[in-house]
Amino acid sequence: MITYIFKRILYMIPTLVLTSILVFTLIELPPGDYFESYVNELRAAGETVDPKLIEYLRNEYGFDKPIWERYFQWATGMLVGDFGYSFEYELPVSDVIGDRLFFTIIVTFFTIIFTWLIAFPIGIYSATHQYSWGDYGLTFLGLLGLAIPNFLLALILMFLANEFFGTSVGGLIDPEYIDQPLSWGKFVSVLEHLWIPVIVIGTSGTAAMIRRVRANLLDELRKPYVTTARAKGMPEFRGLMKYPFRMSLNFFIADIGGILPTVISGAEIVAIVLSLETTGPILIQALQSHDMYLAGSFLMLLGFLTVIGVLISDIALAILDPRIRLQGGVSR
Amino acid sequence: MGNIPLLKVENLQVSFELQKGSVQAVKGVSFSVEAGEVVAIVGESGSGKSVIAQSILRILPRNANIDAGSIHFNDPSSDSAAVDLASLDAKDEYLYELRGGRISMVFQEPMTALSPLHTIGNQVEEALVLHHAKTSKEARSDTEEILRLVGFPNPSRGYEMYPFELSGGLRQRAVIAMALICNPAMVIADEPTTALDVTVQAQILGLMKELQKKFNTAILMITHDLGVVANMADKVVVIYHGEIMEAGNVEDIFRKPQHPYLKALMAAIPHFDMKDGERLVSLRDAGKSKSSDTIHKLAGKFKTADVSESNGPHLKVENLCKEFTTNKGSWFGAGEDNRIIAVDNVSFEINRGECLGLVGESGSGKTTVAKLIMKALETTSGSITLNSSEGMRDVVDLRGEELMRFRRKVQMIFQDPYSSLNPRMTIQNILAEPFIIHGLNDGRGNQDDILDLLKLVGLEPHCLNRYPHSFSGGQRQRIGIARALALHPELMVCDEPVSALDVSVQAQILNLLNDLRKELGLTNLFISHNLAVVNYVADRIAVMCQGKLVEIATKEQLFANPRHPYTKSLLAAVPYPDLDRLLDFENIKYTSSMEADDWGDAFKPSQEAGMENIKIEDGHFVLANCNCNVSELRA
Repeated sequence: MITYIFKRILYMIPTLVLTSILVFTLIELPPGDYFESYVNELRAAGETVDPKLIEYLRNEYGFDKPIWERYFQWATGMLVGDFGYSFEYELPVSDVIGDRLFFTIIVTFFTIIFTWLIAFPIGIYSATHQYSWGDYGLTFLGLLGLAIPNFLLALILMFLANEFFGTSVGGLIDPEYIDQPLSWGKFVSVLEHLWIPVIVIGTSGTAAMIRRVRANLLDELRKPYVTTARAKGMPEFRGLMKYPFRMSLNFFIADIGGILPTVISGAEIVAIVLSLETTGPILIQALQSHDMYLAGSFLMLLGFLTVIGVLISDIALAILDPRIRLQGGVSR
Repeated sequence: MGNIPLLKVENLQVSFELQKGSVQAVKGVSFSVEAGEVVAIVGESGSGKSVIAQSILRILPRNANIDAGSIHFNDPSSDSAAVDLASLDAKDEYLYELRGGRISMVFQEPMTALSPLHTIGNQVEEALVLHHAKTSKEARSDTEEILRLVGFPNPSRGYEMYPFELSGGLRQRAVIAMALICNPAMVIADEPTTALDVTVQAQILGLMKELQKKFNTAILMITHDLGVVANMADKVVVIYHGEIMEAGNVEDIFRKPQHPYLKALMAAIPHFDMKDGERLVSLRDAGKSKSSDTIHKLAGKFKTADVSESNGPHLKVENLCKEFTTNKGSWFGAGEDNRIIAVDNVSFEINRGECLGLVGESGSGKTTVAKLIMKALETTSGSITLNSSEGMRDVVDLRGEELMRFRRKVQMIFQDPYSSLNPRMTIQNILAEPFIIHGLNDGRGNQDDILDLLKLVGLEPHCLNRYPHSFSGGQRQRIGIARALALHPELMVCDEPVSALDVSVQAQILNLLNDLRKELGLTNLFISHNLAVVNYVADRIAVMCQGKLVEIATKEQLFANPRHPYTKSLLAAVPYPDLDRLLDFENIKYTSSMEADDWGDAFKPSQEAGMENIKIEDGHFVLANCNCNVSELRA
């Protein structure tokens, strides 16, 4: 098992290297660079620009060097925590992302928990009461959640929150706590604001998850070992939890790797609507303004999270499923 | 209490709610089981025999209802009166106590009946923990005890293993242990040995009989196999379409069958004393002679090209080997490759127009041989020579155009008629596809040819526009045969063509294959694990074990005079539907020769001497050590 985890971690290295090359190529692909768009913006505002200054900046940030050299600098920099410099914010990337990363992780974490808490009981109910009114009703609600656009739901909830609870609209904390050190009050304030984005981001995921829990569990419920458990005198609910439910879990654990990036990127548009201080809005803005190190580092971060997610799900699968742990792959 | 039976089922009626109304699966069945007695319920698939079993434990699917009747269970260990299980509420406390505690169940498929995620010990002791509230230490020692009793060589190791780490036989032993751990009054065994190899089946049957005597447990055995019934049961209930056709003592049932259905069922089973040219009589076979006539009429069109007999065997397989490599999951080459020799130096010949039966248990390599001949797999070494109408050709290195032409000559009939037909193609498309692939008849396929193919296998022309799901298993297998015949093949490879079919349908298909071979002059390689079936269709029989061909002889020689210990144990393990030839359970327990180590010096593979096919008599060869005493082998 230890060797398995060790190998699995080793396996991440080439994956991350490949990801970084891909990300760097992608952000280099659009014509021009940050300074060009910066110059264009200034000109559009009717200001004059000193070409010498631009030339100096380009030189300073190494934009005249060949592409592989710049990649190498960026990639090795990341290893020691230097993610490059954001031109737009005129700050190191790590300073721009840092705080927002914290909020992003909080929102993501609660969203996933929310999705599971809602989806699992409903999915189990739907599967064990297939084609009943309850099944149809919950399925309908789930589909509704899937169909309503996230931004619309965000606007509606924002209105309701302001109207009935008096919570300040937008953001993750009350304005008075911005730039304040972490305190109990700030924490409560975060929780107060959290429920809107969690519900908004969570609903569509929840609906899809309900359908998957239901389908997976239905498949398992037809298997003979379920009958075996019943024939042994196992009470229905305990039998359900011990055998078919446990089997159907495999799928969701395998899915963790995919959940992290989708929740994060799915949250971006909502984050703009709700003006949350998460990383989403920055990414979109950075991509628009060719702020390449910021965008690149952010994409790298998503890649890293995905790889970590897959690692977690692989290890959890190996712990949960003896077949994966004990059987070697067979090839021809 | 002597006159109240342990279980008394009276006028049981069960129906299933379907979208188009309800279907009655069990129509007023009555029988009883005495304590310590073995009662067999025999019937074909769809007869309702499993539904009866599920009704007793009240574990019917949700859309099934017990409409009428009673199931009285009289627990010998309690003083209270008999309980009517059919009248209890589905959530009644007593039912949970009953299941696994007083009546338990053994299932057909040991792989799927056990959860792959829980250890054997966990699943076996579950009933004990549920019903007797033992501490985990007590439960563990009881579990290991029962595992030892059912024949686990190392119970404490077995306790911690997962089902997929065990062989099929051991898995079924674990399922039996699971059923017996609470010492129930009755065990319901639903096709307990159907999924097992014949030698393992004999061992498991012996084990069940031994334990049944030891604990004086009643067994309600559900099976389609009259051979198993003859060897196990005290009483037999024959059921057909949810109704009892005949019931009685095993003696009466086998010696004096009364009901036409039972008589027909007995006549449909291939057995070893069949005279030359004797046909199986299949149930519901309306136009038996008609179908033979049709084949005869169409034979001219589909007859394979006549090649003079002079130029030797039709197919010659020499020193055929196939290796598979498995890899213990590793990305950096640290895990070593595991080589598995699936086919090990196999040689045989099939003459033109002959049927060679290839017999072996699962994993013996018989299907791999078939795939190598079909060129569905690449041969590791050795040669396969086909003497077709185009002359001799080594099949192993055929490529491109030549390979396409070869494919027309050799066709295959598959085991599972359900998955070997594409569910999204009509019969018309399925039968036209061979013509299209081979670009015959302008790449479209000739409608006349397709209609004649259908007639040849005994199907009506109006079947053409239907999809496979609307046909029964037997009809689907006929479609598979028609597809194989489309290109006028010379050699037919039949891989367990009847093992998924009911006895009565099996007889029809075997008769059809025999007729086709004789009329069309086909050469057959017939693969099966069922010796009786092979005996019915084959002229010569080859026995495979662990990738090696251990014995080959004409069928008369093989049955009269088996030489190899493996062949002997295979023959000894077949359950006959005949009370005068019961299995010798005591002997099977001690002389099962699955492992080469038990084979005696003459047959044990040895490195220094090498193995050789020793001639016993004309056409009878057995694989043995080169330096063994040949005259001793022959004696």
